[in-house]
Amino acid sequence: MSHKEKVSISAALAAATCSLLGTTFPASADAQEAGDWDFNTSILYYGENDDRVKDYSVKSIARRMFVDDRSLSLGLTVDVLTGATPNGAIRQDVPQTFTRPSGSGFYTVPAGDLPLDDTFKDTRVALTANWQQPLGETSLVDVGGSVSKEYDYLHLGVNAKIARDFNKRNTTVSAGFAYSMDDLDPVGGAPTPLTPMLDVGDTSNRTGDQDKDVLDLVVGVTQVISRNLVVQANYSYSYSDGYLTDPYKVLSLVDGTTGDTLLRSGAIPAEGGPSHQFLFESRPDDRSKHSLYTQAKYYMDGKVLDISYRYMTDDWEIDSHTLELRYRWPLAGDHYIEPHVRYYTQTEAEFWRLSLDDSQPLPEYASADYRLGDFDATTLGLKYGWKTRNDHDMSVRLEWYQQSGDVPGEQIIGNQAGRDNYPDLDAIIAQFSYRF
Amino acid sequence: MERHTALSLTEDTWIGRFQAMGSPCEVVCESPRRSDAAEICELVAAEAWRVEDKFSRYRDDNIVARINQAEGVALDLDGETSDLIDFAATLYRLSNQRFDITSGLLRKAWIFDGSDRVPSQREIAPLLARVGWHRVSWQRPRLTLPTGMEIDLGGIGKEYAVDKAVARIQSAGGGPCLVNFGGDLASTAMPRRRRCWKVGIEGKTPESAERLIDLKEGALATSGDERRFLEKDGIRYSHILDPLTGWPVFEAPRSVTVAAASCTQAGMISTLAMLKGAGAEALLETEGVRAWCRRQPGTSNINIEIS
Amino acid sequence: MKRTILLIAVLFFASGCTSMGVQPWDRDILAKAEMQLTTDELEAATDDHIYFSKEASSGGRGFGGGGCGCN
Repeated sequence: MSHKEKVSISAALAAATCSLLGTTFPASADAQEAGDWDFNTSILYYGENDDRVKDYSVKSIARRMFVDDRSLSLGLTVDVLTGATPNGAIRQDVPQTFTRPSGSGFYTVPAGDLPLDDTFKDTRVALTANWQQPLGETSLVDVGGSVSKEYDYLHLGVNAKIARDFNKRNTTVSAGFAYSMDDLDPVGGAPTPLTPMLDVGDTSNRTGDQDKDVLDLVVGVTQVISRNLVVQANYSYSYSDGYLTDPYKVLSLVDGTTGDTLLRSGAIPAEGGPSHQFLFESRPDDRSKHSLYTQAKYYMDGKVLDISYRYMTDDWEIDSHTLELRYRWPLAGDHYIEPHVRYYTQTEAEFWRLSLDDSQPLPEYASADYRLGDFDATTLGLKYGWKTRNDHDMSVRLEWYQQSGDVPGEQIIGNQAGRDNYPDLDAIIAQFSYRF
Repeated sequence: MERHTALSLTEDTWIGRFQAMGSPCEVVCESPRRSDAAEICELVAAEAWRVEDKFSRYRDDNIVARINQAEGVALDLDGETSDLIDFAATLYRLSNQRFDITSGLLRKAWIFDGSDRVPSQREIAPLLARVGWHRVSWQRPRLTLPTGMEIDLGGIGKEYAVDKAVARIQSAGGGPCLVNFGGDLASTAMPRRRRCWKVGIEGKTPESAERLIDLKEGALATSGDERRFLEKDGIRYSHILDPLTGWPVFEAPRSVTVAAASCTQAGMISTLAMLKGAGAEALLETEGVRAWCRRQPGTSNINIEIS
Repeated sequence: MKRTILLIAVLFFASGCTSMGVQPWDRDILAKAEMQLTTDELEAATDDHIYFSKEASSGGRGFGGGGCGCN
């Protein structure tokens, strides 16, 4: 067929349609694909009470869609962290000094204050990349990688997931795995576990860098229950192997009767050193976690209820429950408001200790890290979202996160009773997001 | 089959829904008043059911039934039916005889239920002898269909109904609306309260990428074979049959979506592209139309995203 | 206790899964952005990271990329 004849199909068709329908039409349609790129960005502020951790973060995910449901996602996150974090030692009625983790300085904590280490001002950069595409008629496969870098930490990871639909796409079964290889190069070198914190300049109990591997496996089922209700259940298993200890955290070595932290032997040298006896923490070199997560989303007349529950148990004897609720309430003109409540509770790790009793033999593993302790946490938040004039999504959310912990009665010795031993946490989360 | 309309408000847009021509149909209105939206919905549904009643091959009391039962007797057709037959004849010519409204008979051999029951040449040959527009005598308004042959206007009907419904809304002075009959859709006018109509082509799964099309004015129609096919020995037989061979068109794309000034035009270009099989993309490019061709497996469901 | 919870969850999904659901043309609500299991992936990733850093549990929904030196 010649080019001239080919061109005339469209024109001939237009003419034929005109005589069929007998009305005039616009010259042509005005239709175009909405753009191949989708960007989702946010800025976040996270700030804890007193002088504790503050995080300023920018996060961005760019997604490019290709024909046939294939897509590439690229993510970038930059975090700037400042502020102090509890170092694991307990309060005392006298001032305490600690050697900085780098070994090249010291800091003093006033009497009665919770010891906080403010050494860390760090910037973290993380990159992720994921490729997703259909596999056959009913499956979807997703593969990706991730890398992140901080001053003392490097993470490399790969992940893959496959999902298959059944039953007219009402049931989806998925399985995935993620494997991470992380390298730690602690400032000053990783300390030998359960050895004392030494004077400034003394790095005799320091070893070099460490590493850990983490394998995560997930299987899940998503099921459409009705036109308004969809539910999901996931089971995950996670195995970590390697250096799982926090190289910057210590435990106070206390007297078996008074519960007060033992003073160091000998005078503090001119360059500085610890005022009391502190031992570096020690955690097992592997950890197995099992989690069960279920979620339901229910649509009622424009409003959406999102409820989820997660149960976690591991071989460090930590058990946790997380219950989360979001309720999205549409307002006029594409605006919405979404209150959010999260309730979390965990039991302490088998080796969690408030302090180490000098009159007892040293345990094999011990940590006073509040994050492994027995605590309840509540989050209350509110999110407000709207669409810009260009049909782009914007939202702001403000949340309050509060942790309050408990020390098991049998761990409180002497003068420790009546003190506020657990470093309770109070934090504000503020985030602004823009999707275009 | 029940015939009723349902009107609902989604955010600040009225959507009228009803069932017609075997598809879920809807009309999206920007009219602020419920009474206006209800009136438009009734108008559109009435037109859809009118076209369905007049031209559906599933009825035994309409013009199509009379034509198919004429047993070689010549019939004089009314103006609207004559227009459609004229249009079908033009398409037969423009498609090099591949768009043929007499090819519906082949469905007696081909049942596209996703199974592997592919018919043999022995089953197809006798049907093929009764297929072919060249056997039909058409001298407007007189149509003479040989005994044993049938016509099926299903390939034109839905898109035609969309355009007729649009025309009725426009002559009734209705506000900007989007008429969507099971994925074949057209806009009566550019929307006022938003930048454009947003039509979402659903990906394979709820989580997979959606193709969003910004439609300001005009129409979209899709031809596809995602749901009706046969598969045997690893070969997929699409339901788009070549009336010259009696077999499916080879290497047809899974779906073709075309944008054009009218739904009928868009529908016919997408059908012509599908009939070209491997040459679908080449045809679309030569015609210079805005089109989206999908060759990977996957369900392609056009739905309207109100935003 | 743990095994009972696991068993209940598995039974809940094994029962009725094959016949539950909706026809393809009834997925209008399910297709809405706000009905997706993860509506805001940025918020989900942010929360996952915050809670991973401050608590002993992590993930559940699946996993994102990236570890960090915080737990």
